[in-house]
This record gives sequence, C-alpha cells and structure tokens, in this order.
Amino acid sequence: MTRSQPTANIHSFESLATLDGKGIRYGIFFVGCPLRCAYCHNPDTWSGEGQRFTVDELAKKAVRYKPYFGKDGGVTLSGGEVLVQSAFVAAFEKKMKKEGIGVALDTSGAVPLTDEVKAALGGAETVILDLKFWDDEHYRKYCKGGIKNVLDTLDYCEKKRVPVWIRTVVVPGINDTEECMDRYADVVRGYDCIERYQLLAFHTMGFSKYEKLGIENPLAGTPAMDRARLDELEKYLDERRKK
Amino acid sequence: MNGEWQGFKKGNWCKKIDVRDFIVRNYKPYDGDKSFLTGPTERTTKVKKYVDELLIKEAEKGVLDVDTENVASILSFAPGYIDKENDIIVGLQTDAPLRRAINPFAGKRMSEKACEAYGYKMSDKIKTEFKYRTTHNDGVFRVYTDEMRAARHVGVITGLPDAYARGRIIGDYRRIALYGMDYLIECKKADKKELGKNDMSEENIRLIEDVQKQLEFMEQLKQMASQYGCDISRPASNAKEAVQWLYFGYLGAVKEQNGAANSIGRISTFLDIYFERDIKNGVLTEQGAQEIMDDLVLKLRLVRHLRTPEYNDLFAGDPTWVTMSEGGVCEDGRPMVTKNCFRVLNTLYNLGSSAEPNITVLWSQKLPQGFKDFCAQVSIDTDSIQYENDDVMRPAFGDDYAIACCVSAMKEGKQMQYFGARCNLAKVLLMALNGGKDEIYGIQVAPEGKVFDEGLLDYDEVLKAYKKYMKWMAKLYVNTLNIIHYMHDKYAYERLMMSLHDTHVERLMAFGICGLSVLADSLSAIKYAKVKAVKDERGLITDFVTEGDFPKYGNDDDRVDKIAQWIVESFYKELVKTPTYRGAKHTLSILTITSNVVYGKKTGSTPDGRKRGEPFAPGANPMHGRDCEGALASLNSVAKLDYGCCRDGISNTFSITPDTLGENEEDRISKLTTMLDGYFAQNAHHLNVNVLQRQKLIDAMNNPSLYPNLTIRVSGYAVNFNKLNKNQQQEVINRTFHEKF
Repeated sequence: MTRSQPTANIHSFESLATLDGKGIRYGIFFVGCPLRCAYCHNPDTWSGEGQRFTVDELAKKAVRYKPYFGKDGGVTLSGGEVLVQSAFVAAFEKKMKKEGIGVALDTSGAVPLTDEVKAALGGAETVILDLKFWDDEHYRKYCKGGIKNVLDTLDYCEKKRVPVWIRTVVVPGINDTEECMDRYADVVRGYDCIERYQLLAFHTMGFSKYEKLGIENPLAGTPAMDRARLDELEKYLDERRKK
Repeated sequence: MNGEWQGFKKGNWCKKIDVRDFIVRNYKPYDGDKSFLTGPTERTTKVKKYVDELLIKEAEKGVLDVDTENVASILSFAPGYIDKENDIIVGLQTDAPLRRAINPFAGKRMSEKACEAYGYKMSDKIKTEFKYRTTHNDGVFRVYTDEMRAARHVGVITGLPDAYARGRIIGDYRRIALYGMDYLIECKKADKKELGKNDMSEENIRLIEDVQKQLEFMEQLKQMASQYGCDISRPASNAKEAVQWLYFGYLGAVKEQNGAANSIGRISTFLDIYFERDIKNGVLTEQGAQEIMDDLVLKLRLVRHLRTPEYNDLFAGDPTWVTMSEGGVCEDGRPMVTKNCFRVLNTLYNLGSSAEPNITVLWSQKLPQGFKDFCAQVSIDTDSIQYENDDVMRPAFGDDYAIACCVSAMKEGKQMQYFGARCNLAKVLLMALNGGKDEIYGIQVAPEGKVFDEGLLDYDEVLKAYKKYMKWMAKLYVNTLNIIHYMHDKYAYERLMMSLHDTHVERLMAFGICGLSVLADSLSAIKYAKVKAVKDERGLITDFVTEGDFPKYGNDDDRVDKIAQWIVESFYKELVKTPTYRGAKHTLSILTITSNVVYGKKTGSTPDGRKRGEPFAPGANPMHGRDCEGALASLNSVAKLDYGCCRDGISNTFSITPDTLGENEEDRISKLTTMLDGYFAQNAHHLNVNVLQRQKLIDAMNNPSLYPNLTIRVSGYAVNFNKLNKNQQQEVINRTFHEKF
C-alpha cells in the first residue's frame, strides 16, 4: 500500500504519562536522536526503524484518550528527539488543535532552528526543554552535541511566548553541586516564558537497556541520584533563580 | 402518624413500603469536602485495640474458635458482645466475637471438612440432627446429569454454589429501621392472603410457602433483638436506633445464612437522614455520629463463616463481601452523596484500612468534586475501596440499587440474584479443538465433534467449531444452575433476607465468564499469527507453536478488542436461549475473584502462549505483561466490553505506583479522579484501584508480620494480603503494575 501522507517513525506509546506536562498526558515516543548523552535512559530510541504512522493514524490513536485529559491534559511528544521529525510534528499539532487537544513537546533542543522546527515549537502548548549543561564544553563531553541550538530554541519560545518547562537530569559526580546550580540559574535568568524548572534524578533503571542493546554504558557503576539531595538542590536552585 | 417519623417529609412511603421514596424526599445532599470529619473517640480506639488482639490470635490459628454444638440460626446463640460496657451497636453472630458457627444447610460434608481443617470435630448432636435431613447439596446431586458431573469435574464450570450457600442476596435491612417489624409482618400477611385467592399452581404454592417461612423468621428476628433489650417491632426513633435496627436485620441474616457474599446494601444516605435529624435537634454531635458508624463498621468487620481450605483457594482471604454502596446520583439529578458517605470512608482512617466491609463507590461524572477527591485520597492511602459506574447502572437499575458481592447490582428489596459462579471459556476452546474431550483428563465431556489435525490452525474453522461448543456450554450451564437454585430454594431458602424483599420479587440469574483475555488473545493469535497445534501421545492437542506477532487485548487495538466483545456478546446471546428456573432474567459477569489462579491450574496450554497451569488474568483484565501501551490503553480495551450484555458486572483491577500517578498527594488525587472520570465516561463498569509499590508486596510476602493490615484490591473485593496463599500472592505481584521509569 502506498501512502500519500508523510509518516513518522514511532518507537512506543505510554497512554498514562503523568509527569511529562500538565494533567494526564498521552505520551508518544519518536525514534531518532542527534545526541548521545552519557546518562540517556532510552538508548533504544536513538535510531532504527519503529512503527510508521501517518498524521491521521496517529491522531486517531491519540483522540481515544481525550476522555482522560480533563481541563489540563493532552498529548506529549517525546523520544528520541521529537524535533528531528519536525515537519510531521507541526502537521500533527494542527490536527490535534482541530480536536481541541493540546500538544506538549519534550525536546532536547538539539535540532537547529529551521522553519519546520519553528513551526513545531510555535504550535506547541508547552515545550519541555532539557538543559543538560550550562556550556558548550560540557555538552560536547557528555552529550556529543552543543548548547547553541538549545539556547536558540529557548530564545524562540521566549519570542513566541510559548510556555517552557526546563528540565535537568542531575547525575552524581557530574552536576550535583550548588556551583552547578548557580550556572544553570545564570543560563535561564531573564526568560519570562519559563514556567517551571524541574530537576530529575538520574536513575539506573535504563542500564538493562544498554546490556540488551550491546551498547557500552558510559556511566556503568554510577549510583542513582539521592532523592533528598535532589530536593536540596532544587530548593537551592529555586532560591538562586529569584536573585 | 408514627412519633418515630416526626420531622420527616411525608409521601408515598407513609402508605406502603417504599424506602426509596423516603430517601428521595428526605435526604440532604452534601457537596462539601472532608473537613467536617472527626477522628476516633477514646472508646472507639479502646474497643478497636481489643479487636486487633483477637484478630492477631485468629490469624495465628486460621479460626479463633468454633461452636461445634449448635447449628447456626437466628436464635441458637445467647447474645454476644465485644465489650458489653462499650458497645454502642450490639450483636454478634454467636455468643463471642470471632467464634464461628456451623451451618450445614447448604452441605453437611463441607461443614464437617471445615471443622476438621481447623482441628475441630462436629458434635454428634449436629451429625444426628442432620443425618435424616436433606441438604441443598444432597438435592442437587440427586438430579445432576452425567454431563453436568463431568463438566464440573474437569472444571469447565467451577465454583458452583452446589455445596455451599449461594449468597448475593441483599435484604432491605433499612425497612426494619423505617417501619419496624410489626408493619412488615402485617404486609407479608396481607400478601399471603392475596396469594391464597389464586389458583394453586405449583408456582403459587411455592410462593405461599416462601412467605410463610419468611413470616416465621421475622418473628424470630424480633425475639433476637429483644434478647439484646431492643424492641424492633416499632420503627427506630433516632439515629442510633436506626443503625441498630438495620444491623439487627443484617445480623439475623448472617446468623442464618453463610452465603458466599452477604452484602448490607445502600444504607449510608438512608441513615444520614436520621443523623441529620438528630444533629438538627441537638441530641447528637458529629463526633457522636462518626462514633456510631465506626462501631457499626467494626461489627461488620467481624462477620465470619466457617469455610474449607478449598473454598479459600477460590475465594481467598476469608471474604464475606459485606459490600456497602456509597454515592451515586438520584434520578432527579441530585447527587446522593451525604455526610454519612464520608463517615463510612472515614472509618478506614479511624479504624485503619481493612478488606471488609467492601466499600463500593457508585461513581458518576456528576458526583461533587469534594467527594471524588476524598475517595481518591482514600484509595491512595488505603487501597480498600472500589468504583462502579452509576451512570451505566442507574438506567438499568434506577437509583435505589445496591451492589452485592463485588459488582452485582440489584434493586434493593425488589430484585434478588441466583448466583452462578463462572464457566471457563478458554477451556471450551481446547474442547472445541479436541472434539469435546478435556485436554487434561482426556475424557469426553462435550458431545463428540471434529478433532483438529496437528499443524496450522485455520481461524474460520476454529471459530466455527468454537461457536458450536459455546452453544453447548451455554445450555449446559443454564440447566445446571436451574437445578442448583431449585434445590437451594427448596432446602436452604434465605427466609429472613427474602422477608425483607417484596413478595413478588424480580429474579436475576447471574452467569459468569472466566478466561476472557486468554481466549481473546488465543483467537487473535490464530487469526493474525501462525499457530500450529501439537498433539500428545493420547492424540489430544495440548500444546501450540505460535510464529509471528498478534494483537493483544489491553492495547486499545480494535483487531483483538472486537474479538473480546464478540465473545461476551455471543455467549450472552447463547445463554438467553435456555429458559431459567422461576423465570429469572439472565445476566452475565466477567469476574473471577481470586479463582483465576485455580481456573488457570485446571486449563491446558492455550494458543496465546500461556502454558498449562499458568493463572488467567483476573476478571476482564488483560493478561499480565501483555498490555504494553500503558494503563489507559488497557482501560480503554476493557471499556469496550458492553455492559448491556454484562449486567452482572465487568471487573477490572488496576495497580499503579504512587510515583507514576503523580508528583505529590494533591497531584495524585487530581489525576486519579480525572482518570476515573475518563474511564467511566466511556461507559466502563468497574475499577479496583491499588496505589502501591510492587516492592512493598514482595516485602510483605517475605515478612508478613511487618504488614498486618496490608489491604489490596483484587477482582471485586479487597483482601488482607497476608490471608492469600503463596501462589495467590505471587500472582498478585506478577500482575501488570503500571509504573514509570
């Protein structure tokens, strides 16, 4: 069968995603990512061929969850890196808008800010943007990418007044100090579009995926981030951001 | 007008028995939050502490004590108390808390075995009394055909109430509080007189005899109450009496009947009218009202029956299903949530979490948010309550129905149910492939038919054979239940419970399915993948080799969900073709309680990849680990099953870790209520909610003493985790937990 519509390469679905955006979310995970973060917990979404869906097919699945969205919920597109397939994303957002469903993007901001990416960002209800590190050097060392595209993405959201949630994964021994928090606070200072800044604890539950895929796990042996310490850092970061 | 009715709005209920009319005219909806609730009084805490000590002793021995001398009945025991000085609501099944009575009316062998299992011996006195007496069990086996015996033996129909009492009948105990026994007796006498004018057909004679039996037990109930110093011949005059009168009715019923489930009905909003009146008159405080409800619930937690260990394999954890139905919406559009519904939920904090009573929330999109939020909080904190969709039940049962057992709705005092356990539709598939032979015992059970060849199975051919055997199963199942309920009415009639029903009662006969997800996935495998049948040395198909992937029930995938829908709808259509005893209306449930473990044990390997002996999924749940698109996809699949042909309920159990549900308590409450609204908006019927860590269950399995009160919801009821056997515990742990990494 030939398809006239463009298709997306989809890794998997999580019909009850409660932590990636407001309310209850239908999570769709896209295949493909330009980064190779040392602490990635979804290495199985980096590349390869998942299931192919047209905009209509994917919309049909998502609409099934509308009864659960209440006043806050909606769809969250994640990955992999969802903006690698930004043309599809923009078309999907339009379709969802017609259904009255908001779409949040969970992105690393690693994709250059092309017109297609701009359209996708502009059509989002919320952009959940990873801020993995505060400078290019650390981005290169741990993620095999740079900070420029991330900041461009943030600037664009600021310009278009798209609400942003910033997220940072805190990894023991890499970015778990007050000094690191100071630097994150410096990066995000002055942006009105930022609604929230969440710290996420590094965990080891993705380790088995590395073994299964036969990929070397650069952080093998690193312990999970302590929750209490994370709460401390979050409090500290909140204070710093006010200054 | 009766002085007891002072202050109530009058209506039709004053002229005839019409409890609903009384409630609708007098109840005061409450749309606030939980902030008015009070904690336990010193008295409550003291009595509770004593009960906890008894429960620990009971847990050590299995049963605390058995009275081997007296047969259970309304008047066979002297009054019993937990703490005579401190009991507010009085009455126990026997003369001491947790002492169990012998009740051989449904089957004497069962009672004897139950005594022996716990180191007791049924007295010669009871043995002699029952030597020449026909029990329900005797009657059934006089009439069972060879085919019925074979079907029962191989377990294609299992758990039939043919050796124990059927239960699932709810007396309208509220009538005693509102009218007093004398008026109820007067009405029954008038009914009997009316029946006497009819031609004496077999049906009419039977009904007259029923009414006479009811009348005898109504008199006995009055006597029982007078032993506790209460005169229930007149209506209750205040809230404490209303609770006490109602409880006497329930107590009489569970003294007399040891049915699998003896539920108490929809009582909270009815009682709230009395509480509101007393509070308004300044004779009762909120604290006092809560204390009365705490004491009632404490009594309900002590209901016990003497069971055999085999019975516990089917219905684990010593359940009694004292189901209480809370909330719902009135046909005039007002929510029926009152402060007393909150008080009932609050007992789970004041007395700690518990499996009984089986608190069931009749959920509606229209329930006030304050109540929805409190329910969600109670679920998250205690895992002790379940939800059923009032918006689908109300059109079928009105606004004065209650839930019996797990998921069975019935109009209170106007409908009763003939309980029918369940048949194993996954096993019927194996029978269809093997030409009617059982795959485990190798014996011919169903009529002889085409035996399938080894090798690739053709979907159309399999379906054709399956339809034929489904037809056979349905007919045999209805006929078997007809015998059972004929005999139960004859030899173990629920005299007291039925006296609290209208004389011309509507009867429901509740059939059940187990193995739905196994069968749906098996048919899907045959249709969408390549399934090769493998024969054993007896020439029976006992294994399958499945190549390729296939859609699995639980992923909101219509390709297989439509198969599940088809199974349910076509089985129901087959059932209604065979007439029922006493003109009962056929209903169907998808509910297994904990018997999904036993059914799995009795079923060979199936084409979906499940191996011989492995447990089925409970109720209408998708199979463990096969729902891979997350919790809501799984809920959506179950929501597609049509309640219209499953009026006895569609049970679904849902377990989620707290971190997956939300970030903090407020967020979790909000998400759980939104989720329940979303599930039920799609006309789904039932949901058990557990919010807990899998690790906690594993710890509890290894260190039971650290978790004495760990309660979890299983199919349609709650159970103390420690009372499950190891197999059942393991199965619960293996069930799909929705958790996020």
